[in-house]
Amino acid sequence: MKRILAVTACPTGIAHTYMAAEGLKKAAEEKNIAFKVETRGAVGVENGLTEEDIAGAHAIIIAADTDADEGRFAGKPVVKASVGEAIKNPGKLLEEALNKKPATRDYIAEAVKTKAERSAQRVGIYKHLMNGVSYMIPLVAGGGLIIAISFIFGIEAFKEEGTLAAALMDIGGGAAFALMVPVLAGFIAFSIAEKPGLAPGLVGGMLASQIGAGFLGGILAGFIAGYVAKGLKDAIKLPKNLEGLKPVLIIPFFSILATGLLMIYVVGGPVKVVMDAMTKWLTGLSGANAVVLGLILGAMMAFDMGGPVNKAAYTFGVGLLGSSIFGPMAAVMAAGMTPPLGLWLATVLAPKKYSIEEREAGKAAAALGISFITEGAIPFAAADPLRVIPAIMTGSAVTGALSMLFGATLRAPHGGIFVLPIPHAVGNLGLYIVAIIVGTVVTALLVNLLKRNPVTNGQTVNNE
Amino acid sequence: MKLTEIIEKEIIQLSLAVQTKEECIARMTEQMVKAGAISNKEAFMQTVLEREQKGTTGVGFEVAIPHGKSAGVARPALGFAKLAHPIDWQSLDEEPVSMVFLIAVPAEQAGNEHLRILAAIARKLMHEEYRNQLREAGSPEDVMRVLETL
Repeated sequence: MKRILAVTACPTGIAHTYMAAEGLKKAAEEKNIAFKVETRGAVGVENGLTEEDIAGAHAIIIAADTDADEGRFAGKPVVKASVGEAIKNPGKLLEEALNKKPATRDYIAEAVKTKAERSAQRVGIYKHLMNGVSYMIPLVAGGGLIIAISFIFGIEAFKEEGTLAAALMDIGGGAAFALMVPVLAGFIAFSIAEKPGLAPGLVGGMLASQIGAGFLGGILAGFIAGYVAKGLKDAIKLPKNLEGLKPVLIIPFFSILATGLLMIYVVGGPVKVVMDAMTKWLTGLSGANAVVLGLILGAMMAFDMGGPVNKAAYTFGVGLLGSSIFGPMAAVMAAGMTPPLGLWLATVLAPKKYSIEEREAGKAAAALGISFITEGAIPFAAADPLRVIPAIMTGSAVTGALSMLFGATLRAPHGGIFVLPIPHAVGNLGLYIVAIIVGTVVTALLVNLLKRNPVTNGQTVNNE
Repeated sequence: MKLTEIIEKEIIQLSLAVQTKEECIARMTEQMVKAGAISNKEAFMQTVLEREQKGTTGVGFEVAIPHGKSAGVARPALGFAKLAHPIDWQSLDEEPVSMVFLIAVPAEQAGNEHLRILAAIARKLMHEEYRNQLREAGSPEDVMRVLETL
């Protein structure tokens, strides 16, 4: 049954608000319409509409001569009227609301919004880390693709000095990739300590690079530099006439010195050992071990669709690009594409299991999936998490495992299918595409197998 | 707070003869001044008339509910008048008005129970049986009795 909501509000909030609410309620009872009304009067908000109410409503009547907090109804069909109209002719407003067509939602815009909201909500260590990663990615993307282009002239062409291939390698590998770890560390520190954090962060990251501690060293350098700089900023108190020296001389000197010494004498060595071991293991990785790593990375990508677990797997893949390990990045991107792609395929294969709205969301998911925006799966996962999340995790794990098994590689940290045609960006392209397709199909079949709810008249029947 | 704390016999009039809504509001306000509910007649009337400017309080079904929240109000009060002759109130349904509730709310008042009582009466007024009972009430006591059936 279509449920109608209403909000009533008037300037003084003493009488009209309540008369309008009562009038609508009475008319809804007479017409046998499921109904709830929120009053915003002098007493305050009463019988407030919850997010679930709004999500489940067919349409909303706003009978208000003053603010009714309309922002929360974005994307829902709304009938607007004065309070007077609701008192005088509540039945007509209800009819109008019933006849409203469900608004078509802009799923692509919603997914982009979710991404932005999640970045804004990040806190603490995770927020600092993602800040560093987000500043590092353009260097990895640009540098990685420029290196790939240099390979067009032959895999060894860059070794010939003075050629364009060599120039491209200098730009991509010599400069852009060399900046990766320093920028990662610098902007982790910047996120912690603001401006005073950047210099020691960049230096710590550079040292991590030089020592061979890779992106793990860079992450540690960023946190060390950030907290050192923040500590100095808060702890050092100077007489007023010397205060000006603090940001330009004192904090830079001590923070860079402390971070540098820690990196060289304490952190750098052990992290280099770990990094070397990991690199060695990953380089020689094949067969069963590769499959296991692919399964884990793949499942992580789908688990929270752009949340912290997904970002952990992604950061792992991106960080390894700096150590010339390209397999995990390929697995991560492929596994991040299959959740939305698989859900789109599911709506195409079994349209009867989905509402009109979900089928629309499916089309949007396809567009998001090919662009490697895993968040495209969220509308489906949010509506039915217990069936959707296991299905997309399985599909992504299969894709990740196949990508690793096939030895597929990826030199760019993003791009979805748009990076595939760029020569040498993807290694073992044919089988990489197979991996993505297989995961997509597995996701779709599993989701449809788990989904039992048939859909009638565009509405989901709740038979549980 | 009970209903009897905001409405009393002195501010119930069963046959008020007036020509305009301004006159009606003035006469009802005077009664409430006498009863001690309103301390500053001009200030209160100004708020009520300003509210009328924003949109009529003639809500239809021959009922009007002029109201004001003002520092000129000493205590929350509800005045009631049945008019000797229906008058024009630019009502939502364009019909003349024969029953008027004048609502006075102090600018500052601890708690909001009086607002809840008034809200409950406003809701009741949307029901025809309730209005008919008020229309048939023959004495201030009858009116009080009907209003009390909240």
